Amino acid sequence: MQRILNALVQYRNSLLYIVLLGISLLFLNGKSSFHQNQFGKYSLKISQGLYSWTHQIENYFRLRKINDQLLQENKTLKGLAIRSDDLFLYPKTFSNKRRFGFEIKTASVIKNSFLNQRNYLIIDKGSADGIQTETAIISNKGIVGIIKSVSDNYASVISILNQDLKINVRLKNSGVFGALSWKGSNPKKFIVEDVVMNASLEIGDTIVTGGMSSYFPLGIPVGTISSFDRNSKNGFYTIDVDLFEDPSQVYYVYILQNKDKEEINTLKQDISK
Amino acid sequence: MNNNLLPTLGSFILLVFLQVLLFNNMHLFGFINPMIYLLFLILYRFDGDQTFFILTSFLLGFCIDFLSQSGGAHTIATLSIAYVRPQIIRYAFGVTSEIPTGFQNDTRRINKLIFLSIAIGLHHLLYYLIVYFNWDAIYLILKYGLFNSVFSLLLISLVLSFYKK
Repeated sequence: MQRILNALVQYRNSLLYIVLLGISLLFLNGKSSFHQNQFGKYSLKISQGLYSWTHQIENYFRLRKINDQLLQENKTLKGLAIRSDDLFLYPKTFSNKRRFGFEIKTASVIKNSFLNQRNYLIIDKGSADGIQTETAIISNKGIVGIIKSVSDNYASVISILNQDLKINVRLKNSGVFGALSWKGSNPKKFIVEDVVMNASLEIGDTIVTGGMSSYFPLGIPVGTISSFDRNSKNGFYTIDVDLFEDPSQVYYVYILQNKDKEEINTLKQDISK
Repeated sequence: MNNNLLPTLGSFILLVFLQVLLFNNMHLFGFINPMIYLLFLILYRFDGDQTFFILTSFLLGFCIDFLSQSGGAHTIATLSIAYVRPQIIRYAFGVTSEIPTGFQNDTRRINKLIFLSIAIGLHHLLYYLIVYFNWDAIYLILKYGLFNSVFSLLLISLVLSFYKK
């Protein structure tokens, strides 16, 4: 207290000056409308700067919410895009709309391993959100993996960065099928095997999912051909593929739940009987 | 301070009336109104109480503003000059030991002139800055500030030379 008093006494002139200056500024502001306007102008300038600054900060903290909104919007759009008749793999020759038997859900990746030979992901949706096992996971620009097991709120996904996994794909132009698998080092480098020799292919051709499994629907773009070579011994091409998207850098994914899976499985069981 | 109070009060009242009734109506060349009341800022004893000085300067400016229907420009300018006067004195008169007890107690003409010029010039600049309060009018502010400072300086020097005798 003594110190505060001492300080007050020591700086009494400055304090007095500031107080009186404040009073005279108030006086000026009240008396002259011109000065009032000018003060208003300057205060607007200052507050504008301040508000735009706080607005930016606020925006930064709202990014998460905005992200979620965009993800929801993307989900709808993704559904429309895959379903649309304009997609090359749902040709007009069918004339009637082809059934799109998949339900789309979104999820965030909370763990993504990519350094092993058999990698996996964990996503933040589980059985509580209606997620089932053996469901396809795709990302914005490619495929990510297949759900292996599901808990209440989470699900583990076998990444396509797994040398045991083979995905049915086809060439967009010639329509021949092949099996896509990971080479095991660079997460963007894949190979497609078992492509029949009589198909014509070029470097840069697009590879899409084949639709022969019940996991992935037909026609999701996967990557492009970077090189290929004829294996004269067994009569098949071996194609090197560059993925459109690095699966190790995926943060938001779409879950494609096949609504007709059980129907298809019943048919399969009938055949094997 | 008590024996200073009466002359201070007397000069205060005299200067207010002189300024408001006479010098505010001069309009020399259309825009020059010398500010005689700055004599108060100059003649107040250098070793007088600074707090009292700031307070009376504020009141002086306030009275001038009040009686000449101006906003608050006189108050702010006068108050600010009163606040920085010790610094101006130190700058104009040199090291501490040589600072006189009052303006009239010193005989060094150059130092006195420097002190007067700084105090008056600064006051006028501040005054016109507040009156126009607009960066676009900076040329006008500098022009008015300069011419009015010169005339105020002349007038105040004249009065000071009479006062001495």
